Amino acid sequence: MNTLAAWLIAAQFARRRTTSLLSLLAIALGVALGYAIHLINDTALADFRQAMRSVQGEPDAIVAPRDTTGSVGLALVEELTRDPAVLVVAPVIEVRVRVDQHALPVRLIGLDVFSAPAVMPALLPEGREAQASRAILDGGVYASPALLAKLALAPGDHLSLWRGNSRWPAVLAGQLPGSRPGDLLLVADIAWVQAHFGPPAGVGEARIRLAPGVDATRWRQALAERLPSDLLIRSDDDDSARVSNLSRAYRVNLNVLALVALLTGAFLVFANQLTAVAQRASQFALLGVLGLSPRRLMLQILGEALAIGLPGALLGLALGHALATAFTQTLGGDLGGGYFSGSAPTIIARPLPALGFLALGCAASLAGAAYPAWLNRQQDLAQALKSGFAEETASSSARHLWLPTVLGVLAYGLAQLPPVGDLPLAGYASIALLLVMGITAAPWLTQRVFAAGAELPLAAHQRIALQNVAQAPLLAQVAASGLIVSFALTISMVTMVSSFRLAVDRWLDEVLPAPLYLRGKATPLPDELLAALRQPDSPFARFEQTMHAALALDVQRPNVALIVREIDRDQPEARLPFTGAVSQPPPTQPVVWISEATQELYRLHSGQRVRLPLLGREIEVFIGGVWRDYVRQFGAIVISRSDYERLGGRFAASDLALWPQAGHSATAAAWLAPLAARFGCEVADAGEIRQLSLSIFDQSFAVTHALEAAAMLIGLFGLAVTLAANVWLRARELATLGALGFDRHMLSQAVILEGVLIALVGLLIGLACGIAIGAVLTYVINPQAFHWRMTLSVPWPSALAGAALTLAAATVASRYAARQATRLPLAQILADAQ
Amino acid sequence: MSRRNFLRCALLLPALARAASPTTVSPYPAVVPGHRLIFPRDHGAHPEFRTEWWYVTGALDTPRADIGFQLTFFRSRPGIAENLHSPLAPSQILFAHAALSLPGDRLRHSERSARANLGAGFSTSDCDVHIGAWQLAREGRSSGEIFRLRMHSANFAYELILEPTQPPMLQGDDGYSRKGHVPGLASYYVSWPQLQTTGTLILDGRRHAASGRAWFDHEWSTAILGGAAVGWDWVGINLADGGALMAFRLRDRQGSTVFAHAAWRQADGLVHRFDDRSLSFTPRRFWSSPRSAARYPVELEIRLGAHVLRTLPLLDDQELSTSRPTPLTYWEGLVKLEGSFNGRGYLEMTGYAGHLQL
Repeated sequence: MNTLAAWLIAAQFARRRTTSLLSLLAIALGVALGYAIHLINDTALADFRQAMRSVQGEPDAIVAPRDTTGSVGLALVEELTRDPAVLVVAPVIEVRVRVDQHALPVRLIGLDVFSAPAVMPALLPEGREAQASRAILDGGVYASPALLAKLALAPGDHLSLWRGNSRWPAVLAGQLPGSRPGDLLLVADIAWVQAHFGPPAGVGEARIRLAPGVDATRWRQALAERLPSDLLIRSDDDDSARVSNLSRAYRVNLNVLALVALLTGAFLVFANQLTAVAQRASQFALLGVLGLSPRRLMLQILGEALAIGLPGALLGLALGHALATAFTQTLGGDLGGGYFSGSAPTIIARPLPALGFLALGCAASLAGAAYPAWLNRQQDLAQALKSGFAEETASSSARHLWLPTVLGVLAYGLAQLPPVGDLPLAGYASIALLLVMGITAAPWLTQRVFAAGAELPLAAHQRIALQNVAQAPLLAQVAASGLIVSFALTISMVTMVSSFRLAVDRWLDEVLPAPLYLRGKATPLPDELLAALRQPDSPFARFEQTMHAALALDVQRPNVALIVREIDRDQPEARLPFTGAVSQPPPTQPVVWISEATQELYRLHSGQRVRLPLLGREIEVFIGGVWRDYVRQFGAIVISRSDYERLGGRFAASDLALWPQAGHSATAAAWLAPLAARFGCEVADAGEIRQLSLSIFDQSFAVTHALEAAAMLIGLFGLAVTLAANVWLRARELATLGALGFDRHMLSQAVILEGVLIALVGLLIGLACGIAIGAVLTYVINPQAFHWRMTLSVPWPSALAGAALTLAAATVASRYAARQATRLPLAQILADAQ
Repeated sequence: MSRRNFLRCALLLPALARAASPTTVSPYPAVVPGHRLIFPRDHGAHPEFRTEWWYVTGALDTPRADIGFQLTFFRSRPGIAENLHSPLAPSQILFAHAALSLPGDRLRHSERSARANLGAGFSTSDCDVHIGAWQLAREGRSSGEIFRLRMHSANFAYELILEPTQPPMLQGDDGYSRKGHVPGLASYYVSWPQLQTTGTLILDGRRHAASGRAWFDHEWSTAILGGAAVGWDWVGINLADGGALMAFRLRDRQGSTVFAHAAWRQADGLVHRFDDRSLSFTPRRFWSSPRSAARYPVELEIRLGAHVLRTLPLLDDQELSTSRPTPLTYWEGLVKLEGSFNGRGYLEMTGYAGHLQL
């Protein structure tokens, strides 16, 4: 029996080499994309976490200020160290500093050599502990080997560390042998860092190692309850969750795209197996009569699918691994998403996910074969033995509109649902339903189009062909479904990306009001630079300063950016792209303007009063409005410099927006360049920033274009294969036509016409579904996953051009099917039918 | 932590510090004779001096007989970062070391270190020094004064109350204790023998009520160890009759005595002092460490004038290795004293396991 199964599979492969191979490739592609995305992300996340751990260690808890400009008071550190449940408290002060004239801001980590070994062993200085401790306590600075190489420094060198107006002339005492190869780090004693760069009365963070046997979760809970409101307590789990949250939505989006590729692969298997079943109806019927049970026959068909799915999935795994390696080398670990900058990790495959993707590939092929297998089981053996496959399931119910209507209503309803755990799962379900709706609508539309076509004054053979399809639209549906799915997805992606790009383009106009920008790369600008800009010889009429900080509102989410700007609190709309009306703040209360992401993530709204952990305490602020931000996916809050200073904040700008005096716009940039270079700052004009932003945007959607192309190819293959199958199924009819005097040319033309019309139906439905899905992506997925809102704009020219191109390709695909028609052994068929 | 070797490290710290930053000035006060000690203020820290320690050793008889315990806090002023404008400046550093000797068991020990104001602290008005949850503090009570002692580690912990039964014992001349023939080598040294000890001992997570006798030492100075001395033998013994004996000698590389001193206080308060001429140390039995290969004279014959005494260790292997401020290996443990008088206390021997590595 196994021999028979193997023989049948082998025969099937030999006979349907091309289509089997294509199905196999489609499955491979789906698996490869999904697996590659998984591998890249898994590796990038692991790499990012490891990098974080090498610097942060693996403490049982971290106490940190919610406001990044804040600190953990020494009294609390003392209280923590005296807790018998605590083994060690390792305090840390971390700042970004400049080294001499180098433009690169470097992380300077101030640690305490007495406590650091228990928590952050990777950051300890080289040399024997006693000597190294003495050197670091005496103000010695240690650098990672990567930094030494990058700045061409050597132990013993004198260096000037500076940040804003503070300077520290230090001596490079040695290396950090435990740092990771790419890490650019400086390590010094915490007191020396504090004396030069602050914070004045505390430490940046307290990393805690608990005594053995202490229940860390309970200890953290107890501490959290009595912690002042400006501080938070984090665990390693929170850090992992935060890192994973960074790219989660982007990752899920890419995985859904990979699933689509797999789905199209399943369609191809479906088309292939349906054809195979049709072609071998008599063969199977014979086997049935000879004693092969219908169950065995069904298993045979599924086995054949598995014979495609398994090697396809295996090939996909290999391909996915190669793809992941290639991608991480060229785009980095974040697939162009910009989440983990600078990481180019090595891909490490683990068995369990690989097995999962293997199973997924096999499942897709089995799902594709399930319907043909079932259909075959329904065949009447005697009938099939005599006359081959009979399509009797094209019942009239398939042509009703109730199913697509119900699906459409359901899809609409799902699109209205809120996200589940920050992921737009209902939105994805809505997209899936829209696709199914398109496919189920195909028979109805096919029947309409072909019936109408049959009424036209066409040549007889063409009218008969059209009439036939109109009467039995099942296979037409199969043929069109691949195109519907692939075209709908392509149109939806194109629509979403183009809407997004247009919105970003408009938004850039609003957020870049000044002609020139200077950026201090996250370190404050020294007064000397600002003074030079105010000198009479300065070509600038005015400039506006911006300071960047961050607030941890939720330990499991990435920080919310806090942007302190020189902005008029009564007229913020002059500087921020508000999405709605701006509320007038009460005169005595500080006002903030929140980004859309902040609004949605933290459920805030304009006009609301909210307590924010600012400047070491909780401050009630008024939300003056919500503005659009396509950059900070995890939220941003803008506060005016005047309010910030009134609250006691120390304003230290890192970025400037500059307006040259009239007539000096051409020379201003050249005047600024040497000044900026002296302080390691970056100067860019609005146009450059716009270009850069858009090119980053385009890069981040590069992967989706590849997926669109793959989907379209699969859809076209599906069309060709099913049309060919159609020819085999209607062999008898075609043979009869041949006997009635239609020549091969006419038969071929009939098949091509059919193909083109089926493609047209597919494209029409695909276009409609695509726009609907594009709307779901734009109005549901993007806002829910990334908190990016925009208006829909369908790129008609490219959509129609794509449709025309696909139609042309479909014509070519139909010719392939038509060639099958000309090869039919007409006489043989007619003889069999007797 | 060995008190004597710790001194050695501290001595070298400022030398290195000077090499790195010539502007650093640290004028350590000298230890001078005739300085009157005032209590409780002088139980507190003297941060201007280079080094200081508070040292409690003792023997417990419950939960088991002859359990030795030791807890020491060291304060060091390494002479660095003194002008740094930061509350965290590492100008005062604290080390603590705790050990527990259980007869028939291995020696358990644990250490802590931190700078003052960042996980550690001390009082300058009374004895109150801590690193994290480890603490040694004096408390005045209506019934008299007590010391509280507290430490925790992975496999042992104790919280003890020490209650004086006698007045403190000022070593040397009213607390001025010479450590060599050169005039500058000296410390201020206060001992408090025969402290009634009660409290809790936690062994592998199980709590036991504990009681016994302890010995408290408090010593501060700027320069003690000098000349040819490479090591030190020291005993502090609570005698069975209520008396107390403190004896030490400094050894040179050949093992001969460079300087020696002893004080024997009888139960009635009468103090006898002994110097090089009337005091001798003679090894009677050695124990070799399988780890460091050092040979320790665990049984020492001590002659005080006409009195002959001998130390008998309750556990041969009471060798310790500590890592901070510098790796050190030495022997420190509970011994019985037999001979002219009987008692129990601590013997410390340093400089046997190779040279100090700095």
